[in-house]
Amino acid sequence: MGKVLMKGNEAIGEAAIRAGCLNYFAYPITPQSEVAEYLTHRLPEEGGVFLQGESEVAVSYMIFGAAAAGARVFTTSSSPGISLMSEGISYIASAQCPAVFVNIMRGGPGLGGILPSQADYLQATKGIGHGDFRMLVMAPASVQEAVEMTMAAFPLAEKYRNPVMILGDGLIGQMMEPVDFPEHLKTPPSNKNAWATNGMDTRQSEARNLVKSLYLDPEQLNQHNLMLKAKYEQMEAEEVKAEAYNVDKDYKILIVSYGTMSRVCKTAIMQLKQEGLEIGLIRPQTLFPFPGEMVLQAATKDSCQAVVSIEMSMGQLVEDVERYVKGQRPVSWFGKCGGEVPTPEEIIDHIKAML
Amino acid sequence: MEIKLSGIILIVGNYGSGKTEVAINLAIGSRTSGKDVQIADLDLVNPYFRTREVKDLFSDLSINIVLPPDQYLNADLPILSPAVAGMLRNPQEVTLIDVGGDDAGAIVLASLADALTDKNYRMLQVVNPLRPFNDSVEGCLAMRSKIETASKMQVNGLIGNANLINETNIEMIYSGHDFLKDVSQASSLPLELITVPAHLMPEIDTARVSCPILPIKRQLVPPWEKPVPVAIKP
Repeated sequence: MGKVLMKGNEAIGEAAIRAGCLNYFAYPITPQSEVAEYLTHRLPEEGGVFLQGESEVAVSYMIFGAAAAGARVFTTSSSPGISLMSEGISYIASAQCPAVFVNIMRGGPGLGGILPSQADYLQATKGIGHGDFRMLVMAPASVQEAVEMTMAAFPLAEKYRNPVMILGDGLIGQMMEPVDFPEHLKTPPSNKNAWATNGMDTRQSEARNLVKSLYLDPEQLNQHNLMLKAKYEQMEAEEVKAEAYNVDKDYKILIVSYGTMSRVCKTAIMQLKQEGLEIGLIRPQTLFPFPGEMVLQAATKDSCQAVVSIEMSMGQLVEDVERYVKGQRPVSWFGKCGGEVPTPEEIIDHIKAML
Repeated sequence: MEIKLSGIILIVGNYGSGKTEVAINLAIGSRTSGKDVQIADLDLVNPYFRTREVKDLFSDLSINIVLPPDQYLNADLPILSPAVAGMLRNPQEVTLIDVGGDDAGAIVLASLADALTDKNYRMLQVVNPLRPFNDSVEGCLAMRSKIETASKMQVNGLIGNANLINETNIEMIYSGHDFLKDVSQASSLPLELITVPAHLMPEIDTARVSCPILPIKRQLVPPWEKPVPVAIKP
C-alpha cells in the first residue's frame, strides 16, 4: 500500500486497528471526534467494536473491564474528557491492566477552547489521577509519528501492564499529512494469559488471575506501590526517546520543545541558520520517561549559554527541563496557551532577545 | 483549456477531500481573471483549516467572504449566517459555497433550498483518490448518493484533487486524473477540472489531461509553513 493523505485523528484510528486493537470506547469531543467518526466506518469492517459511552467516566471503566478481560483496547478524548477519565486510569494503573489513552489537547483550563494546546503536560506526565502512579507518555510531532507511536503503544502497555498515553496537541489530530502504515510495525501477540481474567481454556497453569486495586493491608499496599515504582524506573531505563536537532553545531541557545510546537521551532532554527546563528533543539518523544540526560548533555555543551523551553502551555515542560539542567545554565520559558501557536517570527524575536 | 465555471457553485465531497483549498483557489483564480467573486464558509463540521483563515487575503483581493460573526468563529457550534441565503438570492458572477464534508456537512444545504429555487447552480463533488474512502469508484458513487440524499440536491460535476500535499508528484496527478475519468464514466458526471500544485504546472503535459486545470496555491498551512504568495493587483 502506498502513502495516503490522512488527518491525524483518522491515522490514529487506523494505526490502532493495525496494532490489533479492535475494541474502542469513546465519547466525542473536539478536536478528536474524527477518531470515532473514522472507526465507526472501519471497525465493523474488521469485526471490531466501537461503543460510545454515556460519559468519559463510563468510558474509562469500559476500558478497564475490557483490558482486565485481556482485550487490546483504547480510547481517545481531549483535555476535559481526559480529566473525567483520570479516575478510571488510576484504577487501571493499580490493577496493572494495559490500555492506550489518546489525548488530543485543546486549550484550557475549564471548558477552554477547541484550538491546539499542550496544556495537559503536567497532568499526563506526573500521574494523571489520584494515588501514586505514572503513565508512559509519547508525544508525536507528525501524523506519521502519531501512527508509529500508536502502534508502539499497545505492546508497551502490555510489556509494563500499564496505561500508555499518546499526547498530541489539536494540530496533530486535525492536520492532514501523507502517511504509510509500515509492515514492520506489526504488533506482537498479547501476553494476556499471564494476567487477564480471560478464562482457563488457554492457560498452561492452574493459577487463577486476579485483577484488583484494593489493598487494605498497609504493608501489602506499600509492597504493591514499590513494585509499581520499579516498573516506572524500568521505563526510565529502557523507553526514553528524543530527537536531537542541529546539536552538532556550536549553538548558543538550546531549545527544548515537543509535538507540533517543535516543528515551528525547526522553521525558526532554519531561518536563524541563514542569518548565521546556530540554535540546538532537543525534542522529547517520550514525555514520561523524560529524556533528562539528553537535555542536560546538550545544555552543558561549551557553546551553550542558555536553555529555553518553548511550549503551548504556561510553563509546564520547563519544570522538567530545570529539574535536569540543575542550575548549570539559565533556563527560561516561552510560549502561548490559548489556541494560538507561537509563530516562527515570534520565536526568532525571542531567541534574539535572549542573546 | 479554460475553467468556465460561473454562477452559483456548491463545493461538496468526502471529509478531507480538499474542498476548502479548492474553493479558495477557485475564488482566487476567478477574481484574478477579473470576475466579481463571493464565497461562503458553510463548513459546520470541521474545526480547523477553514475558509476563515484567508479572511485577510480575500479582503485584499476584494473577494466578498461570508463567515459567522467574529465572536463565534471558534465556537464549535453549527452557525449558519442568514447572509448566505441573501448571497444566493443575489449571486455575483461567481458565488462559491464551501460546504462541510460528507453527508453530515451537506445536510445544511437542504435549509437553503428556498434560496436556491429557480436558480441555476452547479454542485461539484471534490475527490482525492489518495484519501481513505475515496480510493474506489464505488466509494465515490456512494458518497455522491449520500450527499444528494442529505442535501436534497443533485451533484452535477466532479473535481479531481489528487494530492499528498507537499509530497504530490506528477504521477499521482495523472493517475488521479485517470481515476476521475473512471468515476466520471460510471456516474455520467462531467469531470469539470483537476487541480495541480502551482509549482508543478510547468511539468504537466496538458495533452495528457482531458479537462481544465486549476493551479493550487496552497493557503491552508500549518503554523510552521507559509501560504503560497498570491499576487494582489491594485
